[in-house]
Amino acid sequence: MISKNLTAASTKPIILGILKQGNSYGYLIIKKIKELSGGKMKYSDGMLYPVLHRLEKEGLIISTWVMEDDSVRPRKYYEITEAGKKELIQEQAQWSEVNAVLNAIWTTQ
Amino acid sequence: MKNNNNKVPKLAHLFFRWYCKKEMYEELHGDLEEFFYERVKDKGPFKARLLYIWDVIRCCQSYAVRKPKTQNTTIMMLNNYFKTSTRSLLKNPLTSFINIFGLAVAIGICLTVYAFMDFEYKIDQFHANKGQVYLTTFYTNRDGSIERYGMSPAPLGELLSTDFPQIQKVCRVEESNVVVKYEDEVFHETLTYVDPSFLEMFTFPLGKGVNKSLNDLNSIILSHDMAIKYFGDDNVLGKDLEVIFSDSNKKVFKVAGVAEPFPKPHDLGFNFLIHFDNLDYARPTNDLSNWDQFITATFIQVNDPNQIAGLEEGMEKYKLLQNEKNSDWAIESFSLEPFVTLYANSAEIRKAIVYNGSAEGRIALPIIAIFMLGLACFNYINISIVSAAKRLKEIGVRKVIGASKNKIAFQFLFENIFVTLFALVLGLLLAVFMFLPWFIGISERSMELNFFNPELWIFLSIVLVFTGVVSGLYPAFYISKFNVIRIFRGSVHFGKKNPLTKLFLGFQLIMASILMTGAVMLTQNSNFQAKRTWGYDPNNVLYVELPDSSAFNRLEAQLIQNTNVVSVAGAIHHLGNNHTTTVIHQPDRKYEVDRLSVGPKYFETMGLQLKAGRFFKDHSENDHAAIVVNELFVENLNLSQPIGHVFEIDSMRYEVVGVVENFHLYNFYYEVLPTIFSLAETTDYKFMAIEVKSGAQPITYATLKKDWAVLFPEIPFQGDFQTRLWDNFYKDLQTQKTFSTTIATIAILLASLGLYGLVMLNVSGRVREFSIRKVFGAETKNIIKSVTNQYVLLTVISMIIGAPISYVLNKALIGMMFPETMQADYFGAFIAVFIIVSVLLTVVSTQIFRVVKSNPVDGLKME
Repeated sequence: MISKNLTAASTKPIILGILKQGNSYGYLIIKKIKELSGGKMKYSDGMLYPVLHRLEKEGLIISTWVMEDDSVRPRKYYEITEAGKKELIQEQAQWSEVNAVLNAIWTTQ
Repeated sequence: MKNNNNKVPKLAHLFFRWYCKKEMYEELHGDLEEFFYERVKDKGPFKARLLYIWDVIRCCQSYAVRKPKTQNTTIMMLNNYFKTSTRSLLKNPLTSFINIFGLAVAIGICLTVYAFMDFEYKIDQFHANKGQVYLTTFYTNRDGSIERYGMSPAPLGELLSTDFPQIQKVCRVEESNVVVKYEDEVFHETLTYVDPSFLEMFTFPLGKGVNKSLNDLNSIILSHDMAIKYFGDDNVLGKDLEVIFSDSNKKVFKVAGVAEPFPKPHDLGFNFLIHFDNLDYARPTNDLSNWDQFITATFIQVNDPNQIAGLEEGMEKYKLLQNEKNSDWAIESFSLEPFVTLYANSAEIRKAIVYNGSAEGRIALPIIAIFMLGLACFNYINISIVSAAKRLKEIGVRKVIGASKNKIAFQFLFENIFVTLFALVLGLLLAVFMFLPWFIGISERSMELNFFNPELWIFLSIVLVFTGVVSGLYPAFYISKFNVIRIFRGSVHFGKKNPLTKLFLGFQLIMASILMTGAVMLTQNSNFQAKRTWGYDPNNVLYVELPDSSAFNRLEAQLIQNTNVVSVAGAIHHLGNNHTTTVIHQPDRKYEVDRLSVGPKYFETMGLQLKAGRFFKDHSENDHAAIVVNELFVENLNLSQPIGHVFEIDSMRYEVVGVVENFHLYNFYYEVLPTIFSLAETTDYKFMAIEVKSGAQPITYATLKKDWAVLFPEIPFQGDFQTRLWDNFYKDLQTQKTFSTTIATIAILLASLGLYGLVMLNVSGRVREFSIRKVFGAETKNIIKSVTNQYVLLTVISMIIGAPISYVLNKALIGMMFPETMQADYFGAFIAVFIIVSVLLTVVSTQIFRVVKSNPVDGLKME
């Protein structure tokens, strides 16, 4: 199981990354993260929604209510903006650097 | 038909709907529902419903919870008061400090006293059957006064268990000093003989072994401390310990149990427990069916405490048995003391198995705590009233915009509780890190503040509300009643000449005077007690306890070769160590006296002073029917010619052959009692007293210990300098001095802080007045007079009232503590008054200096 601190730190790039693959809503995002991490990363509602709302406030994502055929209620879909995509590139670069540092340390051990 | 189990739980859903923000409800609940339906498929409806409820609870966080449309006005108001209070505290840091620090010190003292009282009231209260256990006691007439005793006639326990079916259990207890040996280690120890019911009646938990092992005559149960002392750990079951009762009586016991460490608040305890019947072996001449014999205690346990009155009545029949056999200890009545109250009442029961040495502390300490809290509250009241002058406009504005009198009062009361809360936190820190460690050091009690104990939090809440309301109520109502028009006209002048302010300051000064006089008088008395003589000369004397009948001769033979030894004497009893009581029969009355049985050289060796007649002669058979008495004995029995007077003691006739000066058997807390000496047989000696050349005590003591190790390798040395017998007493005197001086210093500190605050506020409010006075040419002495006028008169009146009260109260207190006290005079009170006035003058002069040095131009500009 990945620690809560690490999960919390990676929330932003993960959400932006998922939304870059296509629009999505809360339930689907949580499910997708669970699937991708093989159940090692667990998101609670308390972690996800405040981040989604913050990203929307920062203009990195936008939301729209969509009424789908398979559902009896509308769902709030989130979509990444251009600013969000730029932010994601920066995040990717930073995480890659962190990854490179960690790799460099561990391969020399 | 729709299955209800496949729907989200209704109550949880309603709860979610109630707390969730409207704009977030659709989104969040939509997702929760999707999770729910997915779980219904994967995990079944039951688990899905449980997880839904869990999700609803988890979502109840600040991001999702809706804010109330309108805020509660009370909360807004309290919020406002909180802001005002904080601003007011920060605006006047010095007065805030005086208030908070004063209250904190008082609360810290209250908490320390709480820890002490909590510890005291918990002593011996951990036993599960405490409510059903009783100690047998009896009342007896000792020379006209009825005394209660906690020891018990030896046959009583057995008779009680056979005669009274309502008694569930009986436990006899006897304690004695023995030597305990394990391998090469030997120690003097106190051994407790008990019936096997002891561990059922008193639930000391055993860490190792079982209670039933006490049924075995060859088993011994150790306290945790003893297990560590002898074996290094408590894993000792089955190990052998040898108990040496006397030179001819030894027995090996098997360790069958080790008690858990006793809870800290305990008085009844033990080091070693063995079966009561071992007494037959340890003291073969003992006859436990003889009413002449007494044991340490007899406890009983009953099912129904309502049977106690009937039991006490039923025990009357034993009176005859006892009084026939032992008329000197004629019993008036038997009585049963509940174990629950035994410790608290033990100061009133002579020779009880437990002893409460802090009975005075239980009364005095709460009084001191209330005194201190009172001093701090008076400070607060005074400073609040005077400093409110600075907040007149605030009060006026509040009233103009509609605040009622009650609202203003409530605001000030709230502020006060807020200040008290600060003080409470600081007081708690002071108690934990300063007062309590200090008090534990001087009282040698391992008390603590247990923060997991709800009683402590209840006490803290009571202190908070009590202090907050008591100190804040008067200022709050006083301040709130002012007329708004007069405030804005500037015609309200209050505080500075408030008679109640002066009254409170007067009280403070009187209290400080009482405590300071107490400190001075206790110090004087301690010095007096330290200089008193003992009625003999303990300085050049060493003493040692003897293990057996031949020990005296063997040790004496060794010691007379030592050139530093002046004389050697034997005795059954020894001054400062032990004695017995006996009853003198006269034709018209019985008279109880203290008795010591000593060898003929004992008087000279100990330096007892002969007033008339002679001491015992060496090798005189006749002197076995002679006694030497002290002066008080002669005085109390009105003997005009004591020498040659004959008394009957234990059916034998004794003639008075000598009178010695009064001397102290024990320390100066105990009064000198009529005492007799009788001649002891050499083979019965239990002590040896050794007089050595002046200055040779340490070297002789070292030699004595070496000689002892050669002569008695199996018996640990037990002896010391005679002067060291009083080390604890002198330490106690020192503690009294330290304690009373500390308390008095705190009292003066509080009173000084209060006065400083008052003078400072007074001076700050009169800056313009002083400036004008100076501009018109007022001299320094006029300024000083103007500042100090009201305080000088107040101090003088307070001291005139306080000094005599202090003198009378403290004289009575010292009289209660010591039977013989110094010739108390007013000197102590004068010194106290002098100290208080000096401190107050210093405090006031700092403000006078400020006024005198200030530039009048600045003062006029400022206002």
